[in-house]
Amino acid sequence: MASFAGVLLAGVLLGGIYSLVAIGLNLIFGVIRVVNFAQGEFVMLGMYATVVAYTLLHLDPYLGMLLVFPLLFVFGMAVQRFILQPLQNEPMMQIFATFGMLMLLQNVVLAVTGGTAVSIRTPASGLTIAVGPLQVSVARVVALLAVTVVAVGLQWALHTTMTGKAVRAVAQDRRAARLMGIDVERTYMLTFGFGAGLAGVAGALLTPIFTLTPQIGGNFILPAFAVVVLGGLGSVWGAYIGGFLIGLTEALAGFYLDPALKQAVWFAIFILVLVVRPTGLFGVVGAEEVGLRVQE
Amino acid sequence: MKRRVFLAGTMAAGLVTQARAANPIRIGAINPYSGGPALYGDETTRGYELAAAMRNASGGVLGRQIVIVRGNAATPQEGMAAVEQLSGTVDAFIGTFISAISDAASEAALNNDKLYWETNALATQLTARGLPNFIRSGPDSTDFARVSVQAITDVAAKSLGVAPKDLKVWVQHEDSIYGTTIGKDQVALLRKAGVQVIGPNPYSARSIDQTDIILRARNASPDVWLNTGYTADTNLMLRTARDQGFKPKAIVVTGSADTFETRDSLGKEYLEGILVATFPRADINPSYGPGGAEYLAAYRKAFNRDPIAPQNFTAYTGALILFDAIALAGATDHPKVRQAAATMDKPLGSYPNGFGVKFDDTMQNTRAKPIVGQWQNGVVVTVYPEPAVPLGGKLVALARS
Repeated sequence: MASFAGVLLAGVLLGGIYSLVAIGLNLIFGVIRVVNFAQGEFVMLGMYATVVAYTLLHLDPYLGMLLVFPLLFVFGMAVQRFILQPLQNEPMMQIFATFGMLMLLQNVVLAVTGGTAVSIRTPASGLTIAVGPLQVSVARVVALLAVTVVAVGLQWALHTTMTGKAVRAVAQDRRAARLMGIDVERTYMLTFGFGAGLAGVAGALLTPIFTLTPQIGGNFILPAFAVVVLGGLGSVWGAYIGGFLIGLTEALAGFYLDPALKQAVWFAIFILVLVVRPTGLFGVVGAEEVGLRVQE
Repeated sequence: MKRRVFLAGTMAAGLVTQARAANPIRIGAINPYSGGPALYGDETTRGYELAAAMRNASGGVLGRQIVIVRGNAATPQEGMAAVEQLSGTVDAFIGTFISAISDAASEAALNNDKLYWETNALATQLTARGLPNFIRSGPDSTDFARVSVQAITDVAAKSLGVAPKDLKVWVQHEDSIYGTTIGKDQVALLRKAGVQVIGPNPYSARSIDQTDIILRARNASPDVWLNTGYTADTNLMLRTARDQGFKPKAIVVTGSADTFETRDSLGKEYLEGILVATFPRADINPSYGPGGAEYLAAYRKAFNRDPIAPQNFTAYTGALILFDAIALAGATDHPKVRQAAATMDKPLGSYPNGFGVKFDDTMQNTRAKPIVGQWQNGVVVTVYPEPAVPLGGKLVALARS
């Protein structure tokens, strides 16, 4: 029983990490309709930026996040403005461009760091709390809480702020939004910047947990795609809940079946969902065509 | 008349010397210098460059200077391409940090009729292929499996005061060919030694969560936890074990967790007492490996820091063995070098890291032995085999609780 509870807990905490990475990816996909292959590399950049802030400014990663978010936000806006916007009418080229960015960012970081694996040890990184017979990593709990705040906050912002409403309007019908006076290009830049900023936040929150290498982003992006597809294309809550579904599936399969097969299990579910319900469990029919739908 | 002959002879000898000096032995170093494994690829080739510089300072090989030419190969395909590209300008090839690259690059070298001298790649099947141009001076994965098992039967069991047959060992490994080959051999060797084995338990090195396998291991209550992986996944594994309160009496790690990258991740307090099966290190006893101190001094002088990883020392030694084989063969073409290398018979301890030379029928050096190190106060100290233990070095307690 303790084992089962431990596995469930591990799955939920892992799900928090997956959701954290997937929400930004889903936001970008939902609004701009670009599958951003470089989202994992944005997370990686966020991690390295956190390490730099920790090393040079002695900023704890949870404070460094306040620096990393605006940095990645501006970086994301620049990527949208100077790389993706010129390719706006060529969706396939946009996808290739994000893939090119993936390679570029990996190799730039590799050149700068020399490929050395980097870790930092913060007060949270080795801290655990006992919940009955179970041990819980504080850093993972913080990530779980943070993604919940992000999901709620994002949902609220999309519903109540003018910018959020503009984002929804552009996602629903770009041409109509433009006719209503919304600056579509600016909205795209803000959205991509926000999605990149969220990746930066994810990076900062995950830095106390992982050993960084220039390739670490690749470890996050595949599960994040599965989360987005499973949870629902373009759905904020879909990405949030999808993360937990994948996390729990992975933990249960890894413990009860075989650790080597756990990813195969959620990939099988991923394919099954694509075949049976292409919009995902919480998505809206046609989301892959029309983009973000905020769950009412 | 005699004077003229002498002068002509001297001039001819001078011309030959000049020609040789102007015609160095060029060796293509196939390693990843970009992509994830670049750090270790670079470090491996620095070993060749260091060996070449030292040998050049004492006159080179066959009177010719040695030049190391880098060929970047982050994938097997790039390995083949690098060999094709360099084949016209080099005399032989040396490598490799990754077995899959060595596999492809050595085939390409054979197509170009060039020697491929392997120093660091571990996969057993590299020599089992029987390629006529392929010679390995370093240990293979079976050697690593064997020494990691000795870390349990000869080191941990004694330290814990129990017989090997009374030990229960959890064996896990990352699931690429590297980890799988070693894990399989470990299980076989442990069973042969009468040890109770739980495993093998493969896992994906790319997984961002290892709690499941740690919980499985914890539930099995082993005395020894034996892990084979790469740096990042092993660090995550050790962190997860720490967070989950998994405290076997001994932890043995094969092929990683032996550099500052792991110390920075976990801290010296947690690592204290952990055993690592690894390439020989520069701290080995001079009577076991004569020249460790000189190597270390040369490395520090050349690169202004300590070696990043022990792969460098093995690469350095492997290059020295190659130079000796070329000198013995009087040529660099692979049939002659192979023939000469096959006659080499040097006991353990002939080279700086403790290697000797005796190739078997597959041209695998049977006298290339990894060692067991132990984390002690933030550094890895050689603790096995006994003759390799540095002066004043000793095993410290293994217990984690």
